[in-house]
Amino acid sequence: MGTEYKINKLDTSGVGPLVDRHWNELREAKDKGMKIAWCSGPMFIYPYATPNIASHFMAGYAAYCGGRGMGDEVLEAAERFGEMRDTCSYHRLHTGMAAMIMNDWPVSNPQVILPTPDLLIGGRFCTEMSHYMEAIHRRFGMKTVTIELPSARSRDDLPRLEKFVTNQVKETLIPAIEEVSGSKFDEENMRNIFRSWKEACIIRNKCWEFFKRKPTPWTLWDYGVSIAPIFYAMGKPESLEYYQDLLKQLEERVEKNIPAVHPDGEKYRLYWDGWLPWSFLGKVLRIMVPHGAIPIAGRYPWEFFSHPDDIDPEADDIIHEWIRLIYTSPNTLSYYDGPWGGQDKIEELIETYSIDGMLFFSSKTCRMWNLGQQEIIDNIEKKYGIPGVVIDGDMIDSTMFAEDQMRTRIEALLETIDARRK
Amino acid sequence: MEKALSKIVEVTSDPYAYVAGLKDRTQKKIIGCFPMYVPEEIVHAAGLIPVVIWRGNESVTWGHAHVPAYDCGITRSFVDDAVRGKLSFMDGMVFHVRQCLQVGEFPLIMERNVKPAYQKILYLPPIYKGDSIKSFLLGDLESFKGSLEDFTGKKISDDNLKESIEIYNENRSLLERVYEIRREKPEILRAREVMQIVWSSMLMPKEDHNELLRELINGMEKKSVEPKKDRIKVIPVGCLCQTLQFDILDIIEDLGMIIPDDDLYVGSRYFANKVKLNGDPIEALADRYLVKTPLCPTKGVWDVDWGVEVIKQMKENDAKGIISIRVKYCPPHTCYYPDFKSKMVEEGVPEVMIEMEHEIISLEGVKTRLQSFVETIGGV
Repeated sequence: MGTEYKINKLDTSGVGPLVDRHWNELREAKDKGMKIAWCSGPMFIYPYATPNIASHFMAGYAAYCGGRGMGDEVLEAAERFGEMRDTCSYHRLHTGMAAMIMNDWPVSNPQVILPTPDLLIGGRFCTEMSHYMEAIHRRFGMKTVTIELPSARSRDDLPRLEKFVTNQVKETLIPAIEEVSGSKFDEENMRNIFRSWKEACIIRNKCWEFFKRKPTPWTLWDYGVSIAPIFYAMGKPESLEYYQDLLKQLEERVEKNIPAVHPDGEKYRLYWDGWLPWSFLGKVLRIMVPHGAIPIAGRYPWEFFSHPDDIDPEADDIIHEWIRLIYTSPNTLSYYDGPWGGQDKIEELIETYSIDGMLFFSSKTCRMWNLGQQEIIDNIEKKYGIPGVVIDGDMIDSTMFAEDQMRTRIEALLETIDARRK
Repeated sequence: MEKALSKIVEVTSDPYAYVAGLKDRTQKKIIGCFPMYVPEEIVHAAGLIPVVIWRGNESVTWGHAHVPAYDCGITRSFVDDAVRGKLSFMDGMVFHVRQCLQVGEFPLIMERNVKPAYQKILYLPPIYKGDSIKSFLLGDLESFKGSLEDFTGKKISDDNLKESIEIYNENRSLLERVYEIRREKPEILRAREVMQIVWSSMLMPKEDHNELLRELINGMEKKSVEPKKDRIKVIPVGCLCQTLQFDILDIIEDLGMIIPDDDLYVGSRYFANKVKLNGDPIEALADRYLVKTPLCPTKGVWDVDWGVEVIKQMKENDAKGIISIRVKYCPPHTCYYPDFKSKMVEEGVPEVMIEMEHEIISLEGVKTRLQSFVETIGGV
């Protein structure tokens, strides 16, 4: 009889109220005379720093719908409107919500509906983020401002791209936010957000240190849901409080020898590439855990400003500072999102967190993270002798999530790891 | 005319053999430019032969070890061709990685598996507001020019570039003339022949193609054609960045429809808009790229309505309906399509959408849809 593994989740229930507060504030903003901006990509920081305008961001809403089990209804609405399943499910979530609003379609959970925006801010990190903004603009006709944010294919390109993006932000984005909100962009607000956010990221990084431990006291899924405070409560004291509590829990676990996997810790430490499957976190974990396998690290959850010491709230040009963090800072999210940089980042994570195998989650509708995945697996396997497999599905869309296929591939990966251990 | 057409058919029937032969014949290096917006003129001015990369005619096999099955046809087919060594005659490759996510797949795959002597990534930005877009675009084009100079070891002068632009502009004018004649006498060519004419322009040196087009146009102008008044005019739209299966064009015509004009990439979109040469040639190329029409959903243009533009084109051609050709797994087109369709419904314009896959499973379904469409718009 083999070991009976069970998961011992960390208490991340503090995330729920933070998330609810964020979306409720957005829903109540118009009653308070504020304007609303919908944002795709990492441009949400600028309306955050401007008075009189509340902002939503695309991936956050998608994770919210997925995590609360509200995604399918909105995706069905999108399809009823004419959207096709080839397109990004985040795109369809937003166009589905827009269709519900436009047609006054009944909705079983009113939380999926957000107030219609006064301003659309398209940060074209991936090309489909632009398509979704364009579609919403065509349907509602509100003011739209779009910023091109290319991910770098080479480190040499980073300075040029950084300058380009900064120029766009100053030239078109800030004036649009000021025009719609009727308020001046507030540099001091932005510095305050940075100060508080930096503190939260420093504590968050201390939590990451616990992933190095064998057995680990927490899993990537515990951290995945804990991404939310960085965004939903960016610059607010709640964010820091959340991570302080998380750190305390982790310290207690280590002190009491409580691993994330009962009874004696994980047997397989896995790397997870791509988006987290927001609607299916539990299902995926239930496939892994009976084998003693858990996800430990991933490129996507590590992209949220992994070098907090480098965040400079006192930078001369605070507008540029955010773009610098995306491009030329050591964090260089823009480079790590691309295939070459992605490989560098994955190697770093594999070495730092003693990874046994790699799962590359390939979304059938979001190809941003899929770029070069099969090449990267091959390269890393050759360099480190660590096996990897691609598992396909979707972050939100349950019609594209085949549990048995995923089980077969994960089990095959674990068998390969076993074979190499012998 | 027949001789010119027969050459065009020969080139497009086996583009692999033709381009490989071209390299042998000219002893020039071949640079594969992934569609749709790599400015071929710069490659030409470097003394190289630019060739627009195409979707192959075989089912994807080895390629699926590198790209998922849910990528579009040209993505999978191109990777398949490349990793199987079918494109070994290409000395270099250029990719505009911001066109769509799938193009972003190529550079790493090529670098690891094909190792072209020259590879260049372009970031060409979408046409958003603000001066920074154009200045970044100019930087990208200058960097492209510089990389080709490094590759060839030869400077590209403004005069070289202007000369190449003139040759390309002439090709655009000649293709426009072919389309003008087709509008006057739609029966003069089969739709597949028109597509082959444009496709051959993407494969042949423009100087050779211009010569061929002059011969073709001469013949087309002289040829009288019996108008078939019962034919219903339709405009095919879409099929971004790849060739349409000729069989689909044949079905359209065999069902009693006729195509006087199109809004296809391997069609009128390829040669739309000349480069206005009145100053710096790099800036002139940038200005051409920044023209918003014909609207392309990969270019981030949200203040021009594709549906309105196509309806205008349909009316100018006295056509009765629109046939959208949507490539399976093409997000730019697919994301736009619901609004395009809504515009057609709003304006009362008959429209049908055909989904095209690289590996056609059955044309029967396509035929049925088109049959009912033609009946709806008044055909037999």
